[in-house]
Amino acid sequence: MSKVKNWHLKREVEYPYDGSRPSRQWAIIFDLNKCIACQTCTLACKTTWTSGKGQEYMFWNNVETKPWGGFPLGWDMRVLEKLGRQEWNQQGEYLGKTLIEAAPAHERVLHFAPTDEDWMYPNVGEDDCAGAKMEGGGHMATMPHDKWFFYLPRTCAHCTYPACLAACPRKAIYKRPEDGIVLIDQTRCKGYGECVRACPYKKSMYNPHTRTSEKCVGCYPAVEEGVQPQCVVNCIGKIRVMGFVSPPEKARDDNPVDFLIHKLGLALPYYPQLGLEPNIYYIPPIHADREYLRQMFGPKVDAAIERYKKLPDDAVAQGLLCLIGSTDRIMHRFEVNKGMAVGFDDKGAELVRVPVVEPVIERAAYDDKLGAIRNNTP
Amino acid sequence: MNTPTWALSAAFTFSLAAFGCSKSAPPVAKPTPLTTLEIKKVSADLSKPDPAASYWKDAPEGLVTLLAQPMIAPRPETTTTDSVIVQAVHDGTRAAFRLRWKDTEKSEAGRLGEFSDGLALEFPLRDGPPPPVMMGAKDMPVHLFHWRAQYQRDKEQGKPSIKDLYPNQSIDMYPHEYKEAPVGSPSAAEKFSPGVAEGNPQSYAKTGVDEIVAEGFSTSSVQEGHGSLAQGAWANGEWTLVIVRPLVIDGGSTLKPGGTSNIAFAVWQGGKGEVGSRKCLTMQWTPVKVQ
Repeated sequence: MSKVKNWHLKREVEYPYDGSRPSRQWAIIFDLNKCIACQTCTLACKTTWTSGKGQEYMFWNNVETKPWGGFPLGWDMRVLEKLGRQEWNQQGEYLGKTLIEAAPAHERVLHFAPTDEDWMYPNVGEDDCAGAKMEGGGHMATMPHDKWFFYLPRTCAHCTYPACLAACPRKAIYKRPEDGIVLIDQTRCKGYGECVRACPYKKSMYNPHTRTSEKCVGCYPAVEEGVQPQCVVNCIGKIRVMGFVSPPEKARDDNPVDFLIHKLGLALPYYPQLGLEPNIYYIPPIHADREYLRQMFGPKVDAAIERYKKLPDDAVAQGLLCLIGSTDRIMHRFEVNKGMAVGFDDKGAELVRVPVVEPVIERAAYDDKLGAIRNNTP
Repeated sequence: MNTPTWALSAAFTFSLAAFGCSKSAPPVAKPTPLTTLEIKKVSADLSKPDPAASYWKDAPEGLVTLLAQPMIAPRPETTTTDSVIVQAVHDGTRAAFRLRWKDTEKSEAGRLGEFSDGLALEFPLRDGPPPPVMMGAKDMPVHLFHWRAQYQRDKEQGKPSIKDLYPNQSIDMYPHEYKEAPVGSPSAAEKFSPGVAEGNPQSYAKTGVDEIVAEGFSTSSVQEGHGSLAQGAWANGEWTLVIVRPLVIDGGSTLKPGGTSNIAFAVWQGGKGEVGSRKCLTMQWTPVKVQ
């Protein structure tokens, strides 16, 4: 067992292979305050990658309602139950065990193995509300409301230390050094399903037609062309951006992803305590139950929410959030100047330019020239 | 129903002896631990594997002991298959091995989270000092004959379709099979079926037994076969399986009449989630003598 540096946990963790970070690491950031679970991302992925035989049930990208939803059923609760209660310290250092550290001797990763049925109900829990106090006055009686739920869009996290890769006895899973995308070699895979068992996020899926396992490919053909994945570019809510995240010591403030994760501390990995350094990051929902969010995003979630509430005072962050969803291309650098936000590609060419604040034009309610009342109906 | 065949035979022999009839019914020996596997020459056609063939009656039986694979995780927590009864014969060109082991349920895999029963025979691929028994080592390859109930089902019924596996499933359409659309061609459907597109043997119908070469853990790869065949039958909590392989395989493991080799065994119980390195196996080579 090697010791590798996991910056999410601020400590070294055990991993079966030596640490070797890719030259760039694929990452997606999702603003959960904006997701409406329209599932456009889900369908964009589905129609692109998993419309064939044996893939009927697969959603490499899915959106589930938290806390009750989950695909496969209860994936998060069941792996957390296995791991048991663990602790962080005040400095944000994880004191508990990761899934690899907690694995019994006969396993590589602590896991639960989903059954056939667990995969068959992707919508269970959808829009189900959580919150305890329904007595007297109904659920709208308190301010702020004590009922909550939020939508959680998920892809493969292309983890820095993937459990799927660690668990594969055939070494059929590899992490690309050029962009950190984790792929299953479809010539080597023999469908043992060890990755399906081991991935705590349950983003490896067995194809009963090809009898191999498959997973989100990070839309690598697009990424190689400088284009963001299908689930990102089709997001109608413009809640997500794909880019390349650096470890903290190499973070650049003008890298959109680094800026949101490292500079602002606004975007957090989910279930970092599992120890895999997942590379999908979430801007946490500000109205959901805080205890639940601490479990999901770790101890930094309170600071992230406070930061989010102060965004109206941060012109640079506002500019970046306006850039998100404004280009299909991968932004490697951005700047905000004189009320304009500009995104650049890896060669420094301008990709997109948007105003930080859309100009507001006030018009009289009545158009004298046309003799008509103006309204905003498109 | 789980009583071993040899136990029934022994009991029957005892009852005959009690009535003074022991001379007319020669005792059937309880399988003893297999120290050397003698592959007897028989004058029979072994081109079709036949678990019930008459020549098995005279072939000596030996029992090999299995343990849960202990070397690398993931591995079984406990030993699920503790022994296999082994017999072997050859006809001058082919060797046939009959294997019997306990398995309370028949598992053929297919749906998500299901795994197949299986058995593998292992031989050193080259002459000389035998390689490490567990999957060989670099430059000390091993040659495996891997049968799965799943592969046998392929052979007998064809590779199951999604409709076979999930009779109640419904789907609007598979876009690549939509004839009117420009993408609706068999080649497009294949291209978006990754294992099939990559020519992964796992994604195609099997003939019953895979030939595999390995040079250590994590290195096994399916090779072009040499006409090996297998036929298994599950009844009363027991598998009886025959694997037939050519005696001489150019570039592969070879069993020369009059010569010697080594053999090892592994068993998977699919119903207990065993697959890949989750298996029970013999911990050392058993010497082989070919008549």
